[in-house]
Formats: sequence, structure tokens, C-alpha cells
Amino acid sequence: MSREVELYEKLSEAVVEMEEDDVIELANEVVAEGYDAYQAVDKGLAQGMERAGELFEEQEYFVPELIVCADAMYAGLDILKPHIKTDAEGTKYTVVIGVIEGDTHDIGKNLVKIMQETGGFNVIDLGRDVLPSTFVDEAVKNDADVIAISTLMTTTMGGMGEVIDILNERGIRDQFKVIVGGGPISQGFADKIGADGYSTNAAESVRLLRSLLQ
Amino acid sequence: MPIIRFLNEDTFVPVDSGTTILEAARSANIALEAPCNGMGTCGKCDVTLGDGSVVLSCQYEVTHDITVLVPNKTAENLAVKIISKGETFEYNIAPNIRKDFNGSVTQVWGGDLLLGEELGDTSALVYGIALDIGTTTLVAELIHLNTGDIVAQESMLNPQTAYAQDVLSRIHFASEEGGITTLYDSFLSAFYALRDALSASAGVDTQYIYEVIFSGNTAMLHMATGTNPVPLGKYPYISNIDDGEVIAADDYGISPFGIVYLPPIISAFVGADITSGILASRLHKRKGTVLFIDIGTNGEMVLAHDNQLAATSTAAGPAFEGMNITCGMRAAPGAIEEFLIADDDTISIKTIGDQNATGICGSGLLDIVGELARTNIVGKTGRFDKKKKDIFGELNGKPVYPVSDDVILTQADVRQVQLAKGAIRSGITALLAQLEVAEENVDEVLIAGSFGYHLREESLLNIGLLPAAFRGKVQFIGNTSQSGAAAFLLNAEIRDEMKSLVESIDKIELANTPGFEKLFIDSLNF
Repeated sequence: MSREVELYEKLSEAVVEMEEDDVIELANEVVAEGYDAYQAVDKGLAQGMERAGELFEEQEYFVPELIVCADAMYAGLDILKPHIKTDAEGTKYTVVIGVIEGDTHDIGKNLVKIMQETGGFNVIDLGRDVLPSTFVDEAVKNDADVIAISTLMTTTMGGMGEVIDILNERGIRDQFKVIVGGGPISQGFADKIGADGYSTNAAESVRLLRSLLQ
Repeated sequence: MPIIRFLNEDTFVPVDSGTTILEAARSANIALEAPCNGMGTCGKCDVTLGDGSVVLSCQYEVTHDITVLVPNKTAENLAVKIISKGETFEYNIAPNIRKDFNGSVTQVWGGDLLLGEELGDTSALVYGIALDIGTTTLVAELIHLNTGDIVAQESMLNPQTAYAQDVLSRIHFASEEGGITTLYDSFLSAFYALRDALSASAGVDTQYIYEVIFSGNTAMLHMATGTNPVPLGKYPYISNIDDGEVIAADDYGISPFGIVYLPPIISAFVGADITSGILASRLHKRKGTVLFIDIGTNGEMVLAHDNQLAATSTAAGPAFEGMNITCGMRAAPGAIEEFLIADDDTISIKTIGDQNATGICGSGLLDIVGELARTNIVGKTGRFDKKKKDIFGELNGKPVYPVSDDVILTQADVRQVQLAKGAIRSGITALLAQLEVAEENVDEVLIAGSFGYHLREESLLNIGLLPAAFRGKVQFIGNTSQSGAAAFLLNAEIRDEMKSLVESIDKIELANTPGFEKLFIDSLNF
């Protein structure tokens, strides 16, 4: 194995093992040796985050571990990003994400955002207590591919359906994939309001996006 | 048009194709419990079809004739344990309702207001009801207003649980067409049942009941008065009920000029039941720094320090009620309520009714996870320690902890407990920060509510729901919503005192607190 490939694997490992200092050291070595920063992100950091997400889905890791993994990943990204040649990244899909109107609980949404960002998506965060029409306006403005809507409260779920209604009214429903999630949400609810997808957790949402955008 | 035959109800219900079994059952007034109100998340509304298959009634859409067997949960519901007694204090008997015989008629006064007159001398016949309206249970006391004697007491399951178990699901149900009417009617039928039972047991005619105190969370007060609760369920969480309100009791079938008093509410998610709790526990009058917590789905808490009170509520979710837990159940016979691992690794289990263990209720859940955390079978991060191979069994290729022959605990169950306790612990930390109090400077921790009453201090410390610094300071004070309601009934001066106190409470909205996300995540580990 070349040192280059070895470094990518070690980066991935360090992210999974939550070793932020190791990630920083390894990323600096990638830069110093002049290796491909894009590959280091893709085969190293992002792959590590993917494995962390799998462990999360298997209930092996929980929210705190996932956050620490993400911190390590972002530390590496800060070092590597300036060295990525702009054309190496290719085109990224864009997601607008937010918590629906009436709800201010955003920890779950933030976790989904982290996993999607580290999964290679361009994520635009609309925050919380977001009007259904704002989801649509922002998706159009940012030429987004996906609208991702979150809520923790049973009482605010109805707003998710409104987003889809507005898309239909404006005749632009097929321009966007709509995905939903949160404590009270189920696949049954997603089907009922005509959403394109639902995932039970943040890590699974990345796989969901990939399968929807294929 | 497909027809559903409900076998044990002996009913045929024709429905439009695509109607769910739950919708059909509700239209035919067949009691089918759906705690999550048909979202498909709680898994508790399962029914058996004619072919023997088991389906979720809220998800199964009927397209052809079927037969359905609805499980009978009446026995389980009637057997649910209800804690009716709470800590209380000495107060003068000076009720709002007074009677005055002037030689020909008896005048009935509500404060300074003449409510009505009765022929002859009825001055000795003067009663009120102190009612604790829990989301899950109702507890009522019939009290003689001249003597303060409790002459009868009754309790029952809140029948609204059949429509939606937790507060938010119930608010959501109220937002649907006819929802609030259904919930109000459901409450009224329960109130009449309690009223009649109290009246029969004490031999008191219901016309001599003049005042009822509704002590419950903010949403329950809305639903008990037929008030629209929908704005409670959306930020900025507005209440449609005014503080310390008195309303006419026309719908409740007591004295024709009876009244209902609603104690002041603190906020949309910290209700009159907590005000009653502050009152009954003398939280605002105690020496030192005292934390009051009602451990439940909303995890309300109030911290008293240097004559200042701060209150908040936490989205603990329904894990403590056994929801979203693989073998979770209500506190009914067969539920594991206590669990201990001795020094020699032997396990002792106590179930409600000393029956074979069939599931885990909230107190048992905290005991089990607490003991596993204490003995490092579950690590600091909540992960099963799989090096201890011989301890774990397997289900679908994943390790599970065998609690008893038929009951298991999964890794996902531990995660649910972490989320619930993390919510409450982060609320405690936020309140302490608000009033600038260190954990070790808290002198007393009062745990109120019927769920809290069954908990052990050790388990709460083991799972880190409470900080280690609270060891030895925890008291379980029972149903103070009830005992506080009785105090409101028997002493009118208290009402003004509590109204101004409630206005002075610092109300904290956790989701808007800077740094709350980090605090919550830091509170998840054991």
C-alpha cells in the first residue's frame, strides 16, 4: 500500500475513532506531501463519517459519538478544503433543510444536516419555525434538488403536507424531492402527504438522498 | 362498500374503501387504544384479522370485507396503579364558598359574590371536589368545605387516553374536525362517573357540591373546559385560558350555581398541576435551594433559590410510560417495576401483582438501565459491553439483554432512555445556570407525580437523570397536584398569593436557550 492510500485509510479510521488530533496531524501530512486533498476528503474523512453513520444506525454509536466524529471530520476538512482543486469536486446536490412552522426543536434537524453535509451534499439551513412557503421559496431561489423537513411535535406535522400542496399549486412538484423526518413521523405519514421519502435517523437520510437522486 | 365485522363487539361497520380500521372503530364508538393517535409510530393499536394476521389498525386500509378482533384492554386499564396522596401543609379552613342561613333561606357565597339561595337551612351541606386531571389518570376528592374533611375519594384512567396518550397527540387530535368536542365529552363522562361515585360513597347529593378545582397541565385544563387547545401546540405556544379563572359549572352537573376554579398556569407546558405542587410542597417558603420535578413525558421542573423561582419543561417523550420500548407496557399486572443486580450477580425482579413478567413499566425500565449502567454491562456512552458475551442473548442477529424469560431490553431501548433522561438532566442544568446555583448547593430535591412515586433515588442517580451531587437529598412527595387542589379549595386567600407568585416565576424556554443543543448532547451519556 502506498503511503498516500495508507493516509486516507488512517484518516477514515481516526474519524471513526473520534481522534480529532490524529485527524489534524494526518490532514497536515496529506497537504505537506502534496497528495490529492479531494481524495483525502472523499476516501478518508467522508468514508470515516459514513462508517460512523453505520455504527449509529446499528445503535453502536449514539448522538454524542456521532457529534465528536463530525467534529473530527470538520477539523480535517478545514485543513484540506483550501487545497482541493475546484473542478475536482464535481457538482453537488443541494438540500434546503429546516424545522417546520410552529416548532423550535432543532437538534434532530442539525444532526441530519451534519450527516448530509459530511455525505457530500450542499446543505442550506433555513433554521426552525419555518413557514411552508419559505421552504418552497428558498428551494426555488437556491435551485435546490431536495427539500428536507423536520419536526419533533405531533401538532406541527400538518405543515409538512402544506409544503407539498404549495409545490403542487405552483406546478413545480416534480422539480424537488421532498423528504421528512422527526419523532412523530412515520413512513405511513410520509406516504399520506405524498413525500418522496422518510428516514428514521440522520445517517439513513444520506442513503435515502442517494437512492432518490440516482 | 366494504364491511368490517368487529368480532367481539358484535358490530358490522360499512366503510368507504381506503378507510383505516382505527377510523372505522372510532366512527362506531368501539374503544381501540391508539396512544400516538394513528401516526403508526407506537405500535399499540394492533388488532387480529380473521386470517390470524396481526396488523396496526391505524395503518391498515380496508378495501374488502374483513373481520377484526379488538384486544380487550379494559382489565389492564382498570388495574393501572394510581397514586392519590400527596404531601401537604397546614392551612386555615377559609374556603371560597360560604353558606349563610338568614332565618328563611341559605345564601351561597363565592367570595364576595352571591351565587344563589336555597330554601331552609342547608348551611351544613357544603361540599367541593378537588380534581387532579392527569394526562393518564384522574383523582377526585369530595371535601366538606366547613371542616376540610375528605369524605370520599375516587380515581380512574383518563378516558381521553383512548384517543391520544400524550399531551401533544391529544392537542393534535383536538385540532381535527370535532376533536375538541369528542375530548370534552369524554372528560365530562369521566367527571360524571367520578361525581356519582363520590356522591354515592359519601351519601352527599350532587346539588350540594358548589365548587370544583381543576388541577392539571395546561392542555388538560383546556380539554376539561372544552377550550380550543390548538395554539398550545405551536410556537409561541399560546394558552387560551386565563390565569386563576373561575367559570360557571353548568356542564358539570353539580349545584345549579356551582363554579369551577382553574389555578394559575405558569406557561403552556408548565401547568396548574405544577402550581398546585409548588403550593402543596411549600416550595416558595422552604429554606435553602430546592428543586421540584415532575418526572414524565413533559418533565416539568421548578427551582427555588433566594426567593426566586425558575420553571421549565423538557421534552422527555413517552419512554418513561413504556412507549417506544420493545417490551414496554403500562404499570399494570405483570409489568416489571423493580430490578436489582446483587453483588454476586444474582438478579431479583419484582412485578406488579407478583405475576409472571410480561413487560417493563417506567419504574422498572429506569431500574434495569440504572443497574446495567452501575454494573458496567452498559458503558458510559450507553453501549452494551459486548465483551461480557455470556450475559447477552440475541434477537435478529443483535445482542439483547435478557431481563427475564419473556422480557428483553435492546440497545435501542437504552437509547430511548438516554434521550428521555438527557432531556430532564439538561433542563436541571439549565435551571441551575439560570439562577446561578451549583449542583452541590441544592439542599432538597422533591419528586412529584404518580410516576415519580415509584422511582428509586439510586436508579435516578445511576442513569444520571439526577447529578451525583443530589445523593441523599431526594424526597418523593406523591400527587401534589391533588393535595394542592384541596388547598386551593379550602383556602381562598391562597389563590391571590399563588397568582402573584406564578407571575413572578422566571419561565425558561429551553429550545431558545443559547448552548442548549450542546448541553442536551452532553447530558446523554450515563
